[in-house]
Amino acid sequence: MGSLREGWRIQVRVIAALMIRELTTRFGRENIGFLWVMVEPLMFGGFVALMWVAMKGPQEHGISVVAFVISGYLPLTLFRHAISKSISIFTVNSALMYHRQIKIVDFIFVRFLIEYIGVMMAYLFVGVALYFFGLFPMPWSIGYMLWGWFLYGLFTLSVCFVLAPLSEMSEILEKIIPVTTYLIIPFSGTFNMTSWLPPEVRDVMLWSPPVTAMELMRYGLFGDKVTPYYDEKVPLVFAMVCTVIGLALCRKVRRTLVVE
Amino acid sequence: MIDIINLHKFYAMGHGKKSVLSGVNFTVNPGDRIGLLGRNGTGKSTLIKLIGGVELPSAGKVIRNMSVSWPLGFGGGFQGSLTGYDNARFIARIYGREYRDIRDYVEEFTELGAQLKMPVKTYSSGMRARLAFALSLAIEFECYLIDEIILVGDQNFQQKCRHEMFEKRRDRAMVLASHSTETIRELCNKAVVLDAGRATVYDDVPLAIDIYSNL
Repeated sequence: MGSLREGWRIQVRVIAALMIRELTTRFGRENIGFLWVMVEPLMFGGFVALMWVAMKGPQEHGISVVAFVISGYLPLTLFRHAISKSISIFTVNSALMYHRQIKIVDFIFVRFLIEYIGVMMAYLFVGVALYFFGLFPMPWSIGYMLWGWFLYGLFTLSVCFVLAPLSEMSEILEKIIPVTTYLIIPFSGTFNMTSWLPPEVRDVMLWSPPVTAMELMRYGLFGDKVTPYYDEKVPLVFAMVCTVIGLALCRKVRRTLVVE
Repeated sequence: MIDIINLHKFYAMGHGKKSVLSGVNFTVNPGDRIGLLGRNGTGKSTLIKLIGGVELPSAGKVIRNMSVSWPLGFGGGFQGSLTGYDNARFIARIYGREYRDIRDYVEEFTELGAQLKMPVKTYSSGMRARLAFALSLAIEFECYLIDEIILVGDQNFQQKCRHEMFEKRRDRAMVLASHSTETIRELCNKAVVLDAGRATVYDDVPLAIDIYSNL
């Protein structure tokens, strides 16, 4: 029991140190520093939202198009960034394997956590700003939003756990992953609600783990203006299975990792 | 104590395997100063990495019952884009030490001055060696793994290393890989000769050096 607590203490220490290190290397100390982490999602989110307004007008299905697009696009940036950051993550960080207390799973977790916090900050920032322009609703239930966001994060992290070691095992995979993160968009619930779909299609859609998470977040944001369909079992089971497979793959890759 | 039990290591090469170590056994006791001897490519660095847990063995085990440093060598252990100070801060954090103590020691020991504010990738190998040494000495390990590095640097620095490592810390264990039989003769009380994937332990260092020289 004592050694378990000691191990936990070391992991917390290591993760904190890795977070700080990652933030200093990526964003430096100058100007706005690590606030940069939210600039990209903000710019893209804003740009995509403007395009939608230009194409479809300010409201569709009775809700603000800007709010709808932002609330879908920001989580999607988490998914895309976390995935692209976990490609070849072990090779990039191999110099750190010199310190035994650092585990390779820590790298994945740390990079994910930075994106997760960054996107959350961007969401909060843009939400508050747009609220004052009347383009963003006051959330109907923060609880549903956070629950959805948690499931979305869990889903993303578990996919990273699988892709990070796989990208070390096969170069082809490393090349095709960026494309696939775009191809999944129609099945991610990012730009549509399942209630807009015919029931047969909706039933199929709900098998996609991020859809449930997305529906929950939208429900939390728009309340009764949308009709959500969700099944938490799907993302939870999916994440559990992926995590188990991913951790096993990480172990396998670690055994043969060559460190300069 | 460190127990090295039936250690095997092979690397994937194309579709085949290249075997580097095939069944290495020995024990590092507290206070042991073990010199690793072997020609180029016999696996000295690999063995040090396995003892330090940087790479994992293909088969066999390393059981560490004392705190073991990371392998002090020319590379490794540092983030090139971060400054010397940032690296010191990172290492202090992951080893749970007070940064201020580590920093003071590093400043005094390395004599790198303002260079510590520069990214480590701009350092010469001698400067890196100083930083690695200073950090590992500041953290205080029970066993130090040293890969060649002791031979770099100017006279003054070598003096300093010897004083800190071999006089002030003579109770610590050490595994030292080197091509310099002189150094090993002078500093070690045991020697391990690596040849064809096997290791032979000698308590008689001059004998080990003789055998190594005739390989």
